[in-house]
Amino acid sequence: MASEDEVNLLVIVVDVNPIWWGQQAQREPQFTLSKCLDAVMVMGNSHMAMTRTNRLAVIASHCQDSHFLYPSKSWRTGDSGGDDASSSGDGKYELLAVANNLIAEEIRNVMSRTEVRGNSTDTLLAGSLAKALCYVNRVSKDLEVGQEIKSRILVIKAAEDCARQYMNFMNVIFAAQKQNILIDACVLDSESGLLQQACDITGGLYLKIPQRVALAQYLLWVFLPDSEQRSQLVLPPPAHVDYRAACFCHRNLIEIGYVCSVCLSIFCNFSPICTTCETAFKIQLPQMVKPKKKKLKQTM
Amino acid sequence: MKLRVQLQCKNLHEYLRELSPEILDRLYNHPATCLAVYRELPSLAKNYVMRMLFLDQPLPQAAVALWVKKDSQKDHDECVSVLAGLRLWHSQQLQGGLQGYILNPVFKDNLRTALLGGGRAWAEEGSSLGPDRHARDIDSLDRYAMERWEVILQFMVGSPSAVSQDLAHLLVQAGLMKSEAGEAPYITSAGFQFLLLDTASQLWYFTLQYLKTAQSRGMDLVEILSFLFQLSFSTLGRDYSVEGMSESLLTFLQHLREFGLVFQRKRKSRRYYPTRLAITLAAGVATSSSSSSSNLASTPGTGEAGFIVVETNYRIYAYTNSELQIALVALFSEMLYRFPNVVVAQLTRESVQQAIANGITAQQIIHFLRTRAHPVMLTQTPVLPPTITDQIRLWELERDRLQFTEGVLYNQFLSQADFEVLRDRAQGLDCLVWQDVAHRVMVVTPQGHSEVKRFWKRQRSHT
Repeated sequence: MASEDEVNLLVIVVDVNPIWWGQQAQREPQFTLSKCLDAVMVMGNSHMAMTRTNRLAVIASHCQDSHFLYPSKSWRTGDSGGDDASSSGDGKYELLAVANNLIAEEIRNVMSRTEVRGNSTDTLLAGSLAKALCYVNRVSKDLEVGQEIKSRILVIKAAEDCARQYMNFMNVIFAAQKQNILIDACVLDSESGLLQQACDITGGLYLKIPQRVALAQYLLWVFLPDSEQRSQLVLPPPAHVDYRAACFCHRNLIEIGYVCSVCLSIFCNFSPICTTCETAFKIQLPQMVKPKKKKLKQTM
Repeated sequence: MKLRVQLQCKNLHEYLRELSPEILDRLYNHPATCLAVYRELPSLAKNYVMRMLFLDQPLPQAAVALWVKKDSQKDHDECVSVLAGLRLWHSQQLQGGLQGYILNPVFKDNLRTALLGGGRAWAEEGSSLGPDRHARDIDSLDRYAMERWEVILQFMVGSPSAVSQDLAHLLVQAGLMKSEAGEAPYITSAGFQFLLLDTASQLWYFTLQYLKTAQSRGMDLVEILSFLFQLSFSTLGRDYSVEGMSESLLTFLQHLREFGLVFQRKRKSRRYYPTRLAITLAAGVATSSSSSSSNLASTPGTGEAGFIVVETNYRIYAYTNSELQIALVALFSEMLYRFPNVVVAQLTRESVQQAIANGITAQQIIHFLRTRAHPVMLTQTPVLPPTITDQIRLWELERDRLQFTEGVLYNQFLSQADFEVLRDRAQGLDCLVWQDVAHRVMVVTPQGHSEVKRFWKRQRSHT
């Protein structure tokens, strides 16, 4: 049973990519961004209701920046909210009411303020994850003596993967693994190889939900239990993991490629000098004629 | 024979289980109580509730049993019995004749309300009264709460302090103090144990006692409990209005005001502020059940950090100038020096045994030292030096050398053979407590006495 000395932090990263959600609204008008955020709030409320020491953070991952929806700068926990964040005046638990109002307000700000420029349409998921890790770190520094923290990150992923973020993404994953932070992924649309790897490495759950309308129920059912209870519950089996790596030259996902023997950078086609560590590969002359015999390795 | 009466501090769960089903069902009519009850569930059961919260149809029991892995079956059974015991879910016949579970509809609706909104507001907010000219900030509320609570504790240790008749009566009823006709009440052994608890547990124990007597005061238990839980979920530093509260609830509010759970500027004031004591009330519930929990010093209710340093040479340094805390330390130690900001005391065999004779247990002394340990002490594990904790326990055991067993003495046997026959018989019946062959004396338990006596009469008539 969770004791009072244990702080349970859940960071929810929501993909709010305006392009994907715009298309989604046309495809399936009964499941829009606001519906998705409702589900996220239900999940967050349930998490905070579980014990007094449970903490929550919500980050919106846009294509220009990632933005903290909760807790935001204007509102800190001891400050009782002031007048602007008054409770909804109904039967909701005050803390939750304040949090929800704040999330709704912030997301409105984010969506109206940021504009989409033509060239950047990918969600900055790696950046948001890095922000989440920083937040986890900050919270764990602020703990009182004798308190322990267990943190996990839940990614709600909508848009396509972006292979250009591969490097940053892997760095984030390994940092999370080192800090014992679980990364869970709830995928709304197409399978995401990067998140599959993230969940597999950190020991989190990866689930591509078959019915988007039932998002809230999936979240409560699968992602609400913390790691301790997950060992007791029967949960969806681990998905097949796509372990393809992205090459450093064109950011394509490849199964077979060239690997620099010095710095282990991956390339999809051969170059005599490694672009990462600038090692010149010594090549015997006769083999220059037949480039077929180059070091050919399969990347894992 | 147990000589001491251990002070029992129940948690919310045990308390609720003792309530009658009708009261339980009525309790769930308020979102605050639902949330409080929900928080007290085992973590697995919490997930069960969450999974079923948005389902309107009963789930087959077989399906629910498949939620857990095989090796956690025991936890599952426990959850099922807890949920059924608190009447949070019922069995219901499914269409196909299968048994299914469905959440208590009242509980479900109110928990949904607590989580997602809707319904009526819990309490009138102070904002309807306009801004408070005498608004209180959090610091002053904390100070106020601690002051009020210390007055009660100080009253218990016998220092003259102004406590209302009602409160003194309550302390007597709770068995923490005794009063003889015409005399001022004095503290009992349970009272000593009470003093050594941490603030949250004290508060919870006290509240339980209050609730026990509430019905005899003509108060509605459900109304009071709902209000208490509602208080514990309110926001610190915000004012609430007394608008719409019933007469008995207003009396209750006055009592809470005296304990320091709420702040009200004047008796007739239309608004009140809940203090940190009230808000940690529900949190203290859980901690009180696990006395081994290491870090309660940070319980926000105590208002101050730990102040006690214990060294392996049995010295206690208490960095405090509160009379009450010094009196508490002096309960089980010998005072050596006193300075303006620190007192030095020594744990000795005599002082600890004196405390134990007063009805305090070793566990409680250790718990007291641990929960009030200085931050410097908290950084080391274990918090207290093991030599000290072991020695305190050993000192307690020293008093336990005598064991009392009731029995019947058999003596003045005429022959060794007679003695041996009867002794073997008693041994066979497993009721022999003690024997001395040389003096032909034996003691049997009272339960075995009649059987042994009958056997002896038969034996004598044979010879």
